[in-house]
Amino acid sequence: MRAFWAVYKRETAQFFRSNIAYAIAFGMLLFLGLLFASNVYGGVQANLSGFVSQPITADQVALSTLGVLTFLMFIIAPLLTMRLLAEENREGTLEVLMTLPMSDAAFVLGKYFAAWTFYTVLLLLTVVFVLLLSTIGAPDPGLTITAYVGAWLYGGATLALSLIWSAVTEDQIVAAFLGAATVIMMFLAGDLAQILATREGLTGASEFIRTLSLPAHYQDTMLVGVLRGEDIAYFVLLTIFALFLTTLIVGSRRWRAT
Amino acid sequence: MIEVKQLVKKYGEMTAVKGISFSAAQGVNGFLGPNGAGKTTTMRVLTGYTPPTSGTATVAGFDVFEQSYEVRRHVGYLPENVPLYRDLTALEYLAYLAEIRGLPKRREQSLAALERVGLAQRAHSRIRTLSKGMRQRVGLAAAILHKPSVLILDEPTIGLDPLQVLELRKLIVELGKECTVLFSTHILSEAEQVCDRLIIINQGEIVSEGTPSELRRQLERGGRILVRSQAASDALAAALRDVEGVALIQPYDDGVIVTPQPAAPDLRPAIAARLVSAALPLVELRPLAVNLEDIFIELVRTQNVTPTMIEEEVSA
Repeated sequence: MRAFWAVYKRETAQFFRSNIAYAIAFGMLLFLGLLFASNVYGGVQANLSGFVSQPITADQVALSTLGVLTFLMFIIAPLLTMRLLAEENREGTLEVLMTLPMSDAAFVLGKYFAAWTFYTVLLLLTVVFVLLLSTIGAPDPGLTITAYVGAWLYGGATLALSLIWSAVTEDQIVAAFLGAATVIMMFLAGDLAQILATREGLTGASEFIRTLSLPAHYQDTMLVGVLRGEDIAYFVLLTIFALFLTTLIVGSRRWRAT
Repeated sequence: MIEVKQLVKKYGEMTAVKGISFSAAQGVNGFLGPNGAGKTTTMRVLTGYTPPTSGTATVAGFDVFEQSYEVRRHVGYLPENVPLYRDLTALEYLAYLAEIRGLPKRREQSLAALERVGLAQRAHSRIRTLSKGMRQRVGLAAAILHKPSVLILDEPTIGLDPLQVLELRKLIVELGKECTVLFSTHILSEAEQVCDRLIIINQGEIVSEGTPSELRRQLERGGRILVRSQAASDALAAALRDVEGVALIQPYDDGVIVTPQPAAPDLRPAIAARLVSAALPLVELRPLAVNLEDIFIELVRTQNVTPTMIEEEVSA
């Protein structure tokens, strides 16, 4: 536990000192801010014109922000995690750490939770959009909170998935690309399931792939205010699985072939 | 205390360490060998970083494979390229390692370690601003931070200026009074000055081990011999050619170098007797290896030279 805290504190401090973390935060907020502004502007215009029977609601604007943010996790998550293990490996500091009395799990978890902490801060920054909206409308608190809890878990799972690749390779760029590929595949699996669903005899496969995909547990449910235990379980289990795999990979250098 | 038995380490098809056995007790133990001899690999096994392919190694009484965690608690390790976090200050770095190790009074211990390596005045400098020698000392401070009973240093003096090398050697000798130090080097004069015991390794095998003086005695039996005489080298070579145990005779300056066959006895009495009987005036007769540098070359050379190679050399 003490080793976990030591790694966690150091890595979290690293995030808040690193240029790339701020660059990611800047890029994300700029993009979401422009999107937000155009959504609100579009909504206002539509309402003024009177042609649209159902005006865009404040909820929809908030949700489109989170929808885009979670979609963008295929870029954000690998950028946040690529350095964590690959850099230690390349710089050789891993050799020092691996010869300290510390469990592999404490090391991996310390790194992971630092990344999740930074992501949590990023996510909390987007609350500014909700606050802005509440001055011109009344966002549904239940729906908003559900969407935020989901986005938080979604981020945690995608960070864990991309962290695997940082343990596999010592090249940060490679780790980032493989992480992005993994997350986007998990995302697009939802679309694949939809395509397969139209084919005869493949509905079982389609349902299976859909259940494994990310959108089935967030964009289709929590993002629109549906809070289900199975979706929370999905993200938690996915995170645990990915972290377990990462820990195995890090520890595998101590394995002995028999 | 280090105990290594039949240790083998393979990387795929490549065998880096071929079944070596040795033990090291308190004091400074030199681990000598040319680059690629298997020094770093052996040290990585001893620190629990990588497991042995076969064989056993116990460090401070714990098996490196079965009780890796315990081994890591008792070992201090300085890897060859001295990996450090360049963004931290020396003190922050040590405090971080101390926290992972769960040491009490982290700050005091870290400062004490820096004091020990003579770097206390730079405790608050970022590691990236430190010179190579200072970084080496930060790495060493990290290795001795928890007062380990076994200290493993991989080429700690490499890349330092002569003054820094002297200081570091002094420190290693001091540390040898408290714990088992195993340090690798390919600089032999260094090993001769610093080590209580030497283990010489080449191509994954132990060539020889003992105290520096033992090694010198050992070599005076089997090493090359320089013979100088007032007679011409040709005459000298002709006279010595059929002395029993001679593998090769090469002209050298105003004398010859006699290479004994592997496992031949000391040839010097036989050579002296032959020269006397041939009435050649002898000027000098001595082992070619006079310091450890030469002993090392001799040991590595005799190990690599097979009888067929000697024959080829003779015919050439």
